[in-house]
Amino acid sequence: MSILEVRKLNKTYPGFSLSDVSFSLEEGKITGFIGRNGAGKSTTLGCILNLIAASSGEITVFGKSFSDSEAEIKQKIGYVSGAVNFYPKKKLRTIASVTKEFYGEWDNEAYRKYMKLFSLDENKTPSALSAGMKVKFSLALALSHKAQLLILDEPTSGLDPVSRDELLEIFLTLKDEGKTILFSTHITSDLDFCADNILYIRNGKIAAESTITDFVGKYRLVEYEKDSLPAELKTKLIGETRTKSGMRALIKAEDESLIGLTAEKADLESCMVHLEKEGDANAR
Amino acid sequence: MLGKLLKKEFTLTMHPTVPVMLLLGTMVLIPNYPYLVAFFYVTLSLFFTCLNARENNDAVFSLSLPVKKADLVRSRILFTCIIELFSILLTAPFTVLSAKIAPQGNAAGMDANLVLLGQGLLLFGLFNLVFFTSYYKDISKVGVPFVTASVVSFVLVGADVCLCYAVPYVKNVLDTPGFVNAAPKAVCLISGALSFAALTLLSYKISTKRFLKLDIK
Repeated sequence: MSILEVRKLNKTYPGFSLSDVSFSLEEGKITGFIGRNGAGKSTTLGCILNLIAASSGEITVFGKSFSDSEAEIKQKIGYVSGAVNFYPKKKLRTIASVTKEFYGEWDNEAYRKYMKLFSLDENKTPSALSAGMKVKFSLALALSHKAQLLILDEPTSGLDPVSRDELLEIFLTLKDEGKTILFSTHITSDLDFCADNILYIRNGKIAAESTITDFVGKYRLVEYEKDSLPAELKTKLIGETRTKSGMRALIKAEDESLIGLTAEKADLESCMVHLEKEGDANAR
Repeated sequence: MLGKLLKKEFTLTMHPTVPVMLLLGTMVLIPNYPYLVAFFYVTLSLFFTCLNARENNDAVFSLSLPVKKADLVRSRILFTCIIELFSILLTAPFTVLSAKIAPQGNAAGMDANLVLLGQGLLLFGLFNLVFFTSYYKDISKVGVPFVTASVVSFVLVGADVCLCYAVPYVKNVLDTPGFVNAAPKAVCLISGALSFAALTLLSYKISTKRFLKLDIK
């Protein structure tokens, strides 16, 4: 079942636009929303939550139109942003006491459980928390009102590797509990670790929507010496880039036998880097 | 949901100067002072509250809660009205006291009486219209709406002082202490209250339209 469906979402700014963004999220899966900085990830998430007024488009959550049932739908959504800092000088206890009033399904026991699990002290203020602990507090609030869909906007940006690893494990546990997670990031290794599906946005357009396995399975990575390939094979290369020992590029999996080079499996990061590079080269 | 948002306004968003400025209703006890300025100080604390909201990313926080975007405007303007009406109510007993301790009246604008309270309501209504309709065009820019609204407030303060000197009816009938000429003064108070309601309602409608089109980042 699809938990979230976005259809033909458009938003125009001077110099940037989201164009016909459409995708859907599968229930109980982690979907990584990737794209370089400024590709439109946060704008898309902002439109989903009505922070940003979309020019056009339709958003359906839990089978209901978001514009018709905004407040009702948000009862089941948890929004966690790595970048935004809410009321940094208020105690966590105060923020939680205000927040819980809004949710019909708020569970005080679950709140205590997550605060303890994440080692959060209610008497502290967000300004006294590390970036990772702030994300954990937002998660504790979201999980205490039994959110079914978690929208995470770059939750791991700026975190040290240990904190990132901790958070990713938490996301996997939440997935096991049946939660659906949409996780925007430009740190693709996080998605290799935990995501089932990916949504790849480039210049405001959805460039790919599939499982990670299918997406990376379409490509291979080849390394070769500069000018060692004949011109007709060079057209098969995607996003050619220099390395210490020569050149590296992505190729389509079906072109592997044509190239005649040893090809490695591509990972998400190399796919994104080479596809972006190819996109930039085509735009020039 | 509106009640919960109001609780959020009072618990998280309200600037600490709001209760302090409410106490400035006691300024009507100062001899020969333009008493309307006391109401301006209340609008100053409301400006600080909007500034506080911006600095604490209140809009993103509030919109992540299960509320409609338009509810945010409704709750902020309702919060403002509660503070403004509370300010008028708190000032009222001091106008009575002022008439007792200074029966000679006020040489710098309207005496502390029912007309002053009506003027206070008019000042609040104009503030709500000018400030919020501009603020909800872009909530990250709080200063310009406040400067514009303050200019309007001080024009009203200046007009009050001038009218009390220049217009005989105002000088002899309205600008008198206590409940002397109570009927025309009550009409002024009611007119002020009606203006407050109409201007605030208009402000709410325009502000909501503008806020729904605004992108929060």
